[in-house]
Amino acid sequence: MKLLLAEDTRDMNRALTAVLSHEGYDVDSVFDGEEALSHIRHDSYDGIILDIMMPKKNGLEVLSEVRAINILTPVLLLTAKAEVDDRVAGLDAGADDYLTKPFAIKELLARVRSMTRRRREYSVKELKYEDIVLNAERFELTSSNSVRLSIKEFELMQALILNAGRKLDTKYLLDHVWEKEDAQPDTVWLYISYLRGKLLAVDSRVIISGARGGSFQLTPGVGRDKT
Amino acid sequence: MSQFDRYTHYVERYSDVPDHCTIYGEHVPAMRAVMGGVLTRIETLRKEMREKTGTDPVDHCLARIKTEESMREKLRRRGFSETTEDALFKIRDAIGVRIVCAFLNDVYMIKDYLVRFEDYEVVDEKDYIRHAKPNGYRSYHMIIRVGGTYYVELQLRTISMDTWAALEHQMHYKKGTLENDALIASELKRCADELASTDVSMQIIRDMIREEGA
Repeated sequence: MKLLLAEDTRDMNRALTAVLSHEGYDVDSVFDGEEALSHIRHDSYDGIILDIMMPKKNGLEVLSEVRAINILTPVLLLTAKAEVDDRVAGLDAGADDYLTKPFAIKELLARVRSMTRRRREYSVKELKYEDIVLNAERFELTSSNSVRLSIKEFELMQALILNAGRKLDTKYLLDHVWEKEDAQPDTVWLYISYLRGKLLAVDSRVIISGARGGSFQLTPGVGRDKT
Repeated sequence: MSQFDRYTHYVERYSDVPDHCTIYGEHVPAMRAVMGGVLTRIETLRKEMREKTGTDPVDHCLARIKTEESMREKLRRRGFSETTEDALFKIRDAIGVRIVCAFLNDVYMIKDYLVRFEDYEVVDEKDYIRHAKPNGYRSYHMIIRVGGTYYVELQLRTISMDTWAALEHQMHYKKGTLENDALIASELKRCADELASTDVSMQIIRDMIREEGA
């Protein structure tokens, strides 16, 4: 499970990274808001821990920008004790939880576990990307026509849309879409092939780029004749 | 053996009209020959494919000449006169052939095959597979003019599209008499979208089997 930690205090950053890594998380740590934003844009995380007080861009600004580009990764905010308004603003801006400094490591770990667990239950009714709409209630993929997807096709498409603009490798998809189910790299390839066929079937221009066993990414594609 | 008999073994169901069918005048035998010609060409392709790949791209074909009654009804409905001229050249589905395929790509393969014949001029083409009708109806429709005279309406679809259309047809007949019109219509649409999805998956699995076997 991959986490991003953005905390500008060196010692704090180092300590948290060590603890989280020890717990088995794969941690990327950064020291300011701009760095955090660039990591979030280019990589996929299961959870983000953001300190509010950071140089260049503060945690709230990072959070707002992240939510504005449709990235729904859970965010835990770290706030100083007095910052009640910040906590309210943070939750309103789309944070999933906050933790007031100073905090016990045990509690931080529990909150990280809780927020990454909740992520699985998180779903929006409709996801849009270019000319397609993915409806979570009906498992329906729509462009100029619609088709109904199977559960795994739906989850794979959801992962691709939520990470649009980023390359997702076969292993990431196995871990996140299939999780503990019995699946192999060719399962991913088969389902990518299904979705490619179904994008054509609904007459979408959207393309899934990538080759068997490799990394995949949604791209807008080019115009096709509407006959 | 009449011309009719010669083609019946190619098709599952064949609806013909009597020779003396007045709306078509003296044209019935010639219309049968045109219809038979389409069926023969499809049969030839099927035979070739069976020999080459061991599989048959077509599940079954249906062919019909529109009955006198429904042709007259259509002429009236469309505001044409009930003459042989209008029946043959204003209405373009006096002759109809439906080709039902097992797989999606076969639909397009058969279509591409038919349009290559020089005496078949495509005068209208609608891809309701890529652009499904709002109710979920899917099929590839094509009107060809054979040898510059008779029109033939071709409908190409997969087995699941065909099954769906059969059910939708029943619903269509009973429309207005059913209590749950809207519910049935929306459920039919959902089924159409599920079947379309499965058609794509089955095609991809077939491709995969062929690749692995190659």
